[in-house]
Amino acid sequence: MATFQRHRFTPWILLAPQLAIIAIFFFWPAAQAIVQAFYIEDPFGLGREFVGFENFSRVLTSGEYLRAMGVTALFSATVALGAMGLALLLAVQADRVIHGASGYKTLLIWPYAVAPAVAGVLWMFMFDPNLGLLSAGLESLGIGWNHRVNGGQAMLLVILASIWKQMSYNFVFFLAGLQSIPKSLLEAAAIDGAGPWRRFWTITFPLLSPTTFFLLVMNSVYVFFETFGTIDATTGGGPGGATRTLVYKVYEDGFEGYDLGLSAAQSVILLVLVGLLTLLQFRYIERKVQY
Amino acid sequence: MATLRLDGLKKTYPNGFVALHGLDLTIDDGELLVVVGPSGCGKSTLLRMLAGLEDITEGSLYIGEKRVNELEPVERDIAMVFQNYALYPHMSVAGNMEYALKNRGIPKEERRRKVEETARLIGLQDLLDRRPRQLSGGQRQRVAMGRAIVREPQVFLFDEPLSNLDAKLRVQMRLEIRRLQKRLGVTAVYVTHDQVEAMTLADRLIVMNEGRIEQLGTPMTLYEQPASTFVAGFIGSPAMNFLNANADGDTLTLPCGSQLTSPVDVHGDITLGIRPEHLVPVEESPQALTVQVELVEPLGADTLAYATLAGQTEPLVVRFDGVRRLNEGDRLWLAPDRERLHVFDPDHGHRLTTTETSTTS
Repeated sequence: MATFQRHRFTPWILLAPQLAIIAIFFFWPAAQAIVQAFYIEDPFGLGREFVGFENFSRVLTSGEYLRAMGVTALFSATVALGAMGLALLLAVQADRVIHGASGYKTLLIWPYAVAPAVAGVLWMFMFDPNLGLLSAGLESLGIGWNHRVNGGQAMLLVILASIWKQMSYNFVFFLAGLQSIPKSLLEAAAIDGAGPWRRFWTITFPLLSPTTFFLLVMNSVYVFFETFGTIDATTGGGPGGATRTLVYKVYEDGFEGYDLGLSAAQSVILLVLVGLLTLLQFRYIERKVQY
Repeated sequence: MATLRLDGLKKTYPNGFVALHGLDLTIDDGELLVVVGPSGCGKSTLLRMLAGLEDITEGSLYIGEKRVNELEPVERDIAMVFQNYALYPHMSVAGNMEYALKNRGIPKEERRRKVEETARLIGLQDLLDRRPRQLSGGQRQRVAMGRAIVREPQVFLFDEPLSNLDAKLRVQMRLEIRRLQKRLGVTAVYVTHDQVEAMTLADRLIVMNEGRIEQLGTPMTLYEQPASTFVAGFIGSPAMNFLNANADGDTLTLPCGSQLTSPVDVHGDITLGIRPEHLVPVEESPQALTVQVELVEPLGADTLAYATLAGQTEPLVVRFDGVRRLNEGDRLWLAPDRERLHVFDPDHGHRLTTTETSTTS
């Protein structure tokens, strides 16, 4: 006990660099955004006026914002489920491979090293209505592809690109999770008469649940915030707002529309939304997790 | 309940390593066969092949009258107790025991009845709702046993089930396994590296070495008539002493000059095996082996002495009654019992008998 008391300040000194980074890059900007949300500022930043909750009421009554919410809901659910489901499928397959396993793993992890904007550009070119290989291929199958005009196709494209980008991250964690399940458990289950499908759902999947839960939280954050780069490079929120998610709208209104107050109000709402979602996940889903 | 028949069972790994060199063996109905050997001798591979967790490269495996080479583990109707128990951590004790029954589509009522019956049999009735991580090592071991028993399989397979328990619990569980296996009358194969476990549990015992059966027999046969120096050194604790000697008919001459009467009629260099418990201290005499005590290990019931004998590289281990007081540096005279001397071929290590050598020499 005495040892701990003598070092009362040492822990804080050791924590200081991390705390400073969080304070400067998270708490300060977040506080700025919250303050900004209650002001209307002129585009050149020369003056601002306190308006109370006007920014919030403008946001929540705007049809465009509600539409962006719908787009986000569809986009988030599809990307999070798609990226996790496909990653799990690939991880299960990679876990079974014995020869050349490390080669497959490296290839599967690669997309994570690609910057979101580059990933977006990559997919944009593959599906470019004039130049793209894949769009040409689709054309020859009789499917007209033009994501610059067709909102549904644009959505599909950003979903694909975002899934592709996030899958590697999920894959690494799922694979590590799978490899930490003792092989003898699955052998015991095989002897106990469970086929491969049943073994997966009654043994592997429950034992992976801590990993799955962690990834669910991480993927929620990813789809809400980090897909910005991919969307910006691929469709730029278009056509006609078909791929304009909440975070994209924050950017558009703030940095293109120069309505900083409106943008700040949106980011506060987004923060609260994601916070609530994470809270819900911890409250209701974590209970089902087997540690 | 079934007989288990192995017919030239062979295992070759893709890298060319031969883990088992064609095993022929019949395990009788209701018999407990123990397979013992050092790590890497192929005993676990053999068990996993019986379970269906490893492919059989060559040969046939029969459970009852049925050839089961190509059958999945579940279709072989076997139950296995793993070294680390392999309990499902996310299921309760009852869930663990019930799992196999559930997979077979047995109705809920019957499942519950069977689980409760088995739990009573092995003293788990108060723990059915617990998770494996809330149990002690011994209790987990019991659950693993219960999970095997509840299915009423044709064959039990045990893969070193006691090696994760402390010494006292191991003795207790050993007795319990023996009692249960006899009571249920199920054919069982038990793999271990512990020769005490092997001796105490086995109806018959196999000593394996480098993928081959070195010897098969009852524990006492293996103890009294080991087929090779390998078996002789493996069965019995402390291990048998091996001495270099020269044989001329029934007279054995040791490098120290002592002469002993041989139980077999052979000629030339031999390896003489004497168990520590078969060296009897006597009064000073020219026939006796003269040794000097180097180290004493009092164990209570017994006292072990490590003694040097002229002309031998390894110290001789001698087991005395615990009441005898010994000091390091003491000189002793030992007379081995003629009937309990073992004579082995010095090159190949196999046991020499009169008939065998008289034809070759």
